[in-house]
Amino acid sequence: MLRRTTAALAGSVTALALLATACGGTGQGASPTAKKTGKVTFWSFVKGSDEVAAAFNRSHPDIEVTFETVPSGQEYYSKLTNAVKAGTAPDVAVVEYPHLPEFAAQGKIEDLSATLGPVVKERFPEAVRQLVDLGGRTWAVPRDAAPLMMMYRKDFFTRHKITVPTTWDAYRNMTEQVKEADPSARGGVLYTDNPGLFTALAWQAGGQWFGTEKDSWKVTLDDGPSKKAAAYWGDLARKDLVRSLSSLDPFWTSVQKNRTVAYVCASWCAGAHQATVPDQKGKWAVAPVPTWDGTPASAMYGGSSFVIPKGADHTGAAAEFIKWITTDPEGMKAWVSSGTSSMFPADPALVPVTKAAFGTEYYGGQDVYAVGTESYEAIRKGWTWGPVMGTTNTALVDELPKVADGTAALPGVLTLAERTTVAQMRQRGMKVTAP
Amino acid sequence: MTTSSTLPPAAPAPARTPPAGPAPRRPRRAAKPPSALLSKAGVTALLALATLYTLLPLTWLVLSSTKSREDLFGTNGFAPGEEIHLAENLKHLFTADGGVYLRWVANTVAYAGVGALLAAVFGVAAGYAFDKLTFPGKERLFSLVLLGVMVPGTALAIPLYLLAAEVGLVNTFWSVFVPGLVFPFGVYLARVFSAAYVPDEVLEAARMDGAGEFRAFCRIAFPMLAPGFVTIFLFQFTQIWNSFFLPLVMLSDQDLYPVNLGLYVWYSSALSQGHPEDYLLAVVGSLVAVAPLIAVFLMLQRFWKSGMTAGAVK
Repeated sequence: MLRRTTAALAGSVTALALLATACGGTGQGASPTAKKTGKVTFWSFVKGSDEVAAAFNRSHPDIEVTFETVPSGQEYYSKLTNAVKAGTAPDVAVVEYPHLPEFAAQGKIEDLSATLGPVVKERFPEAVRQLVDLGGRTWAVPRDAAPLMMMYRKDFFTRHKITVPTTWDAYRNMTEQVKEADPSARGGVLYTDNPGLFTALAWQAGGQWFGTEKDSWKVTLDDGPSKKAAAYWGDLARKDLVRSLSSLDPFWTSVQKNRTVAYVCASWCAGAHQATVPDQKGKWAVAPVPTWDGTPASAMYGGSSFVIPKGADHTGAAAEFIKWITTDPEGMKAWVSSGTSSMFPADPALVPVTKAAFGTEYYGGQDVYAVGTESYEAIRKGWTWGPVMGTTNTALVDELPKVADGTAALPGVLTLAERTTVAQMRQRGMKVTAP
Repeated sequence: MTTSSTLPPAAPAPARTPPAGPAPRRPRRAAKPPSALLSKAGVTALLALATLYTLLPLTWLVLSSTKSREDLFGTNGFAPGEEIHLAENLKHLFTADGGVYLRWVANTVAYAGVGALLAAVFGVAAGYAFDKLTFPGKERLFSLVLLGVMVPGTALAIPLYLLAAEVGLVNTFWSVFVPGLVFPFGVYLARVFSAAYVPDEVLEAARMDGAGEFRAFCRIAFPMLAPGFVTIFLFQFTQIWNSFFLPLVMLSDQDLYPVNLGLYVWYSSALSQGHPEDYLLAVVGSLVAVAPLIAVFLMLQRFWKSGMTAGAVK
C-alpha cells in the first residue's frame, strides 16, 4: 500500500517552484504512454456522476470505473488530502476551481501537462484555462464553467414597471423600487454562509485577490475594485435593500414566498431554481449580470474540474475517463441525462448538447444558454485562486453575518481575511510579498 | 436542591420570596439574599427555556418531515404544512437510491450497537481488573488509560486513517468498527463502578469456595456491575452513533456509510445542485435516525440514571 511518497515530496517542491516562477520543465507524473486499461476509482459529489460512470463503462469495455459518492464541502477536501497522504487516493476526483491551487502547490495531484494538456489547450477558452493551468502546467480538466447571470421575476418587474438593470447603479435603483412596490420583497441577496458569490462579484469588478511574482505570492483581497464591490454590497445589505440569508433553505423559502424577486447567480442556478421552486414556472427570466461601466464583464461562481490524485494506480485509464466526461459529446450528454441541470459546459463546443437537454418552458422559452454564452465570453482574465482558499473562505464566512447587522463593514472584512490568509500561507512556508 | 439548601428549615416550602433574616446555621450564604434566578420561579423558567431549546429543533424536524417539498419552503418551519405528506416522504426515503437508507441504518446499528456492546464488555473487564487485581505497572498502565480519556476522538481520526491505510483496512467495515471498540473512559468508569459495587469480601468468599478469577468475574462481579455496564454501553453507543469525522475519512463506499454520513451526503449537495428532494430526504432521514436513539434511552434510562450518580457519595 505504500506508494511513491518520495515522488509526492519531489512533486510538491516542483509544483511550488512552478506556481511561483511560471516556467516549464520536463514532464513528470502521468505519462502519455500509460496503459489505457484497468480499474478506475472515481470520487465525486456532482449529481449525475453515477450515470456518467455507467455510460462510460458501457462504451469502454477495457476500463472499469467504480464511482463513489462523497459529501461536498471543506470536509471532502480534507478527506482527499488525507487519502493522498495515506496512498489510498482514487484515480479520478472532482475538485472545484478555488481548491485547485492548494492541491497543486502541495503536490497532491498529478501534473497532466503531457497527457491532457494539449486537450485543455485546444478545447477550452482562456477564461477557464487560467483556472487549471498554473505555473505553466495543466493540473485539471474543466467540466463546467459557471458564468454569472441575473435571475428576476418577470411578472413582478412588469407589474411594477421596473426595468431590468444593466449597471450596478441601476441595480441599486431596482432594489429600491422593489422594496417600495412590495415592502416584503427584495431585489437581491447577500449570502451569509457562502462567500462564493461575493468573491465572484469582486472578480467581476476587476479585483485580483491572488497573483504570483517571481518566487512569491501576492495577496490583495482588498484591492480597489474588490473594495468598491464590497462597499456596494455592504451598503445594500445594511440598508436592507437586499436580503442577508443563508444560501440553504432560508434563501429558497424567501423565493418560494415571493420575498426574493431578483438575485445574481451563475448558469447552474437556472436548473437548481426550476427544480426547487417548480410552481413559479413562467414567472422567472434570466438577464446578463449588471456591470460597473456598462461594458460586459463577468466572473465565475462555482464550477468543477477533474484531477488525477498523486498515487493513482491507473493514470492512463483515468486520463481517458476524464477526457470523455469533459470533452466528449456523449460524456456531456450523460451528465445532463436527468434533464434538470442547466450546467454550462466549459468546452463551448458542447453547449448545444446541454442546451438540448435543458427544457426552456420554465423560463418561458427563453434561451438561457445564450445569456450564459455571452457571460462566459465576458469573464475577466487574470484571476487566480489562492493556495489556502479553505482558510480564506472561512475568514470571510465568519464575518459575513456581521455585515448584515452592521457590526462589520464588508471592505474591512476583506482586509481581515487577507491578513488571515497571509498568516496561514507564511505558516505553510510560502513566500508572500505584502501587497 | 440548591433552592432548598439556601432556605432555613423553618421557612414555608413553596417560598416565593427569599428569606430576609440571616439563618442561624449557615450565616455566610444567607447573608446575601439568594438571587432571583435561584428562586423556584427562576429555576422553572430556566428549565422551561432549556426544554424549549431542546424541543424546538425536534418540533421543526417532526413538522418538516410531514411536509411536501412546496410546503417545506413555502410555509413557516413551526407551522404545519398544507397537507400531511409523511407517508410519501417515508416511502421515498426507504426507496431512494435503491433503498440505501436502510443499509445505512443497518450499518449504524452494527457500528454503534455491536461496537458499543463489545466496548462495554472490554471496558468493564479492564476496569474490574484495574480495581481488584494487582499486577506490575498497574497504576502506570492506568495513567495511560486516563491519557486516552483526554485525547478527543476526532484528533485520532487522521492517525487512525494512516494506520488503516498501512494495513489495507481503509474503506472497509472494520475501519470504523474496530476503533469503536476502544473506550478508555469506559475503563475509567468501570474501575469506579467496580470499587463502588463489588465488595472485596464477596470476591474473597468466591475464591474461598474455589472459583477461579475468570469465573469470579463472570458469575459474581459482572452481575453486580450490570448498571455500570449499561451506562458504559450507552455512553459509547451515543459516541459511535454521533461519530462523523472518522467514517468520513475512512469510508468512500456508500454501502458502508453510517446513517449520519449518508444524510450529510444528501444534505450537502442537495440545494446547490438543484435537488430539493434530497434535502427533504435528509430531513425525513434525520427524524427516522433519531427515533432508535430515543427508544434506546427510554428503555435503558433507569440504568443510565443510577449509573450517573453511582459513586457520587463514596
